[in-house]
Parts: sequence; structure tokens; C-alpha cells
Amino acid sequence: MTSQQVIVTEDLTKTYSANDVPVYALRGINLTIAAGEFTAIVGPSGSGKTTFLNIISGLDQPTEGKVWLSKELISNMNGRQLSDFRRDNIGFIFQAYNLIPVLTVGENIEYIMLLQGIPKIERHQRVVDILEVVGLAGYIDRKPPQLSGGQQQRVAIARAMVSQPTIILADEPTANLDSKTGSELLEMMYQLNKKTGMTFVFSTHDQAVMDRAQRLITLKDGLIDSDNMQE
Amino acid sequence: MWWILVKLAWRNLFRNTRRTFIAGTAIGIGLAALIFVDALWIGMEENMIKIATSSFLGGGQIHQEGFRKTQEIERTINQHHQVMSNLKQEEIVARFTPRTFAFGMITSPAHVIAAALVGVDPVTEKYLSHVDEMITEGTYFEGDNERNIVIGSKMAEVLEVEIGDRVVATVSQAKTGDLAQEMFRVSGIFHFHNHEMNRGMAFMRLGKSQQILGLKDDIHQIAIKFTDVKYGQNKLLPFWRKYSKYGNEAVSWTEILPELETIFEWTNISKVLLGFVFFIIVVFGIINTLFMSLYERMFEFGVLRAVGTRPSRMAQLILFEAGSLGVLSIGIGIILGIITTYICSKTGIDYTGIEVAGVTIQELIYPVMVIDQFIFYPFWVLVFTTITGLYPAWYAARMSPAKAMRRAG
Repeated sequence: MTSQQVIVTEDLTKTYSANDVPVYALRGINLTIAAGEFTAIVGPSGSGKTTFLNIISGLDQPTEGKVWLSKELISNMNGRQLSDFRRDNIGFIFQAYNLIPVLTVGENIEYIMLLQGIPKIERHQRVVDILEVVGLAGYIDRKPPQLSGGQQQRVAIARAMVSQPTIILADEPTANLDSKTGSELLEMMYQLNKKTGMTFVFSTHDQAVMDRAQRLITLKDGLIDSDNMQE
Repeated sequence: MWWILVKLAWRNLFRNTRRTFIAGTAIGIGLAALIFVDALWIGMEENMIKIATSSFLGGGQIHQEGFRKTQEIERTINQHHQVMSNLKQEEIVARFTPRTFAFGMITSPAHVIAAALVGVDPVTEKYLSHVDEMITEGTYFEGDNERNIVIGSKMAEVLEVEIGDRVVATVSQAKTGDLAQEMFRVSGIFHFHNHEMNRGMAFMRLGKSQQILGLKDDIHQIAIKFTDVKYGQNKLLPFWRKYSKYGNEAVSWTEILPELETIFEWTNISKVLLGFVFFIIVVFGIINTLFMSLYERMFEFGVLRAVGTRPSRMAQLILFEAGSLGVLSIGIGIILGIITTYICSKTGIDYTGIEVAGVTIQELIYPVMVIDQFIFYPFWVLVFTTITGLYPAWYAARMSPAKAMRRAG
């Protein structure tokens, strides 16, 4: 694994059991993603996109195979180690935003920094700064239900980026948004990728995301069907 | 960090306000019921002790050893002048009165009845018993006629006598065992809320009773009224040992009327059982509420775990939610408890006429609020709600973030 490689998987296999019938979600994925890539993983429903994302982020364990993230072998970590690893290295963006509705925008963004033990003054400054970046300055005390879908996803992006992780994993981030808002957010993430050098990995069905992606990996029946760099 | 979890827990509690208030009110009502029942029992205990000790018994008594068991007339208090002299010096003794006590027969022209004949000093007896207050006909030893006798209402009915009628008392004399008879005139008829006393007790002047029993100036019993009723309940009071000498025994009312104390002990057991039932309800209420809340927010828990919240922190969050529900329930319970107990402590609860362990309740029961009720029970509600949260907390801590999000999705 070179210093440029942030994600490396080796013979990644995941098998579920549905009514005692084995379901092969991943059938031995070997993949390397370099630092700073803007990668989209695509494929039909059931192809293994979300499972792949869950395993490379340490949310789920592979049945077989290994995963290295930022040079750390995460497939052998226990629950607590994985929690700490995710906290310090991975930012998540979900399809349904998944902000905590009882916390304000500021508190939602601040939460992960609290986990990291960042001092209060720095936390506040970072919240203000990141809200400025995502175009939500002045929304710090709003509650998520008071925001539109696009605004909530901006907060989710801010939350994912505020801890300055190595990788941002985004599971269908534009699926719940209208095309205009989706395009705006995609453009924002693209610019952040360019500006910060963070690695973005998307799971998506959105053609706009596929078009924007620097690299397009297609999964089919738990296997890599194609892996293309794009202009 | 814990502060954000507390904040999160408290706010989560009010996401479904109706459910939270239903659960909180249910637990609160249970807590209020515990507070009220405790207050009611304190009021009832005080009432029953007051009735038991002030009607006739006193807070304690002194006899010769063995008298309570054998009731032998010869067993008079040893050195009773010295004992009474000492009692006058006791700060905790408000009043005391000497008595003789013998079983005999009372005969009227119509009938004969067995009776406990009690010789009393009418002046000091007034402070120890309520016989004078329970006179329904005639008077309580007015004047200085030594042949006056005060009998119970049922006895008067059986003997078919009225005020001014003559009756003859027959007793066995001390030492000789000879039978002695004396004629008395019924001067007063009393009525207690106690059938045994009304049928089987008769009071005569102390001097006359000593004479017919052949006791000279000896007495069988000294009944004592303490400055505080609690002294009578305290079996470890040094007073009892101090006066259990010269062959005499000093005993508290709890030994004379052990059935009443047994009732109080059972009361405490029933309070524990009531508390246990209540806490079982709390357990199910809390578990139900927390799990409903947990399943509703499965995705959120998945997200919290995904962004790096450790399993132990997830458990803390759930425990804080359980604790918050406990705090809310305690608030509701204390308010309801104060309102209901306060109202009843002013209006009283009517249990008059009900007999418990030989003591007939004669007055309204007034629940008594004490600070312990608002510390002890709420403390245990908080402890139980938090302990109850352990299972949902353990469940949340073990939850796989991927499964949580998959299940929610």
C-alpha cells in the first residue's frame, strides 16, 4: 500500500443469510482508491454498493477478506476501535441527511468534534467556518426540521467535513433532492474535493454524479463489472 | 461530552410529548400513590397509638413481675411508694396513675356478670384514660361517695341497671382467698368504641378497691403517660430497665398490646410489597417507552454510531433518557402526591368504627406528610428507572450501525 492509497480491499467477501439461504453481497472485491479521488460506485439495486461502502467504512464486517483504510487494517478492529477510527478518519453523508432533529444545526456539526475532544472555542470557530463554506451562515441555531432538504444535506456535508477526515463516504447523497439542488450540492462537493484533497466515494444512481466522477466503478452481483477513469 | 448526551436525552424525551407524558404520568401516579399511602399509614398509626394508649392503657405500665401473666391479686407492685416518688422526678413522664386490678362478679337483682374491676384514683386517672370523657349517663366519680361504681354500657344492659341502682361486687381477697362482697351504687355508665370494655370493665375508687381486695395501700399497676408518645414505642428506652427492679417490670404499650405493633410491622411489609408492585410497573413502563423510542430512532442511533460514538456512549445516552424520564415522573409524582396528601390531611379520611387489632378507630384519619416521603420514594424511582434503562442501553450499545441503518431503512 503506497502513501497515495487510502482505501485498499483484498478479496472482500460478504455473505448474508436470508432464511438459511446464503446471499452473496460481495464476492471478492479487490480495489484500491487513491487519496483525493472523486469516485462513484454505481450499479443496479442489490449489486453490493451499500454493503461495499459499509465495509470500507467499518460499519460492517466482511465475511472474508481485508480492508485497509489510511494504512490501518480495519477489518480486524473491535467495535470501540472502529468507532474511534470512524470518528477521526471518515465523514458520512446519507441519502436522508440523517441529522439529529433535536439538536440545532450548530450542535449537529459540533457533535463529532465533541467526540474528538476538541476545545469549545475551536469547535465554535470550525462550525462557523464550515457553515460559511456550505452557504448556511446564520443558520447555526436552526433545528433541522426548519430547513429544506437541500439545506439539510448541506448541514450533513458540513458535519461530514468539519472533523477534517481523510475520506468522505456518501451514500446516494442527491437521491432525495431535486435535480437543481442536487447539482448545486454535487458541484459544492466537487469544489471541496479539489480544495481540500479529501477523498470522496459515492454510491449513486444519479447520472449527474456519474458524469462528475473522476472514476466510475460499476458493481454487478457483488463483483466489479467495470472500473474506468473519466475525463 | 456527557453534557451533550444529557441535552440530547432530555430533548429526545419530548420528541413524542404525548407518549412521554403518558409514561411519566403513569409512573408519577404510582409515586404519588406511594407517598399518599405512606402518609395515610403514618396518620393511621398515630391515631391508633393515640387511641390505644390514651383510652386506658397509657404509654407504659409498671407491675410486679408475673402479674400480667397470672393476674394474681397478691402480685402487687413492690416498693410502690418509692417507684411513684421516682416517677415524679422523670422528665419524660408527663403523668402517672396507680390502679388495682382484679377479676370478680357483679350482681344485680336481675343478673350476674364477670368483670374486670379496676380501682382508680379519679383525679390522676383523668390524665391517663378517657373514661371520664366516655360517660354517657351519670357522672364520673363526683363527690366523695366510696360506693360509687362506673360500669360499661353493655354491662348495664346485661345487668338491667340504671344510674342510682345498686349492684354487688364479689371478689377474692389477697392472701386469704376469702370472698368479699360489697354493695355499690351505679354512678356512671361509659361507652367506649370497644365491646370488651363496655361489657367487662367496671371502675371503683382506689381506696375502696384496696379495702375489699385486702391490699392495704398496695396497687397492681401504675399507668404512665409520657411527654411524647414515641417514648412508649421505644423498646430500648433506658426507662424500662430503670423501673424493672425490686421484682417489678416496666413495659411499653407495644408489649402490652403486641398485636397492634404486629399490625404496624405488617404495614411496613405491605408498603414494601406495594412498592415492589409499583416498581414492576415502572420497569415495564420504562422499558416499553425506551424501546419504542429506540426503534423509532434506529437510523439515528446508526448515524450516531457511524460518526464515531462509542458503544459505551450510546449506553450512556439511553441511561440518560431513562433518568430523564425518571426525573420527569418524579416531578409529576411529587406534585400529585403533595396535592392529594395535602387535601386529605386537611379534610381527613373517615375510618371511624373500624376495628384494627382490638383498637377501634374513633376519629378521622389525617395523612401525615413527612420530608422522607419526598426523598426516599423519588430516590428509588430514579434508581429503578435508571436500572431499568440498563437493558435498552445494553441493546443500543451492541447495535451494529450498519444493521441499525438497514433496519430503519
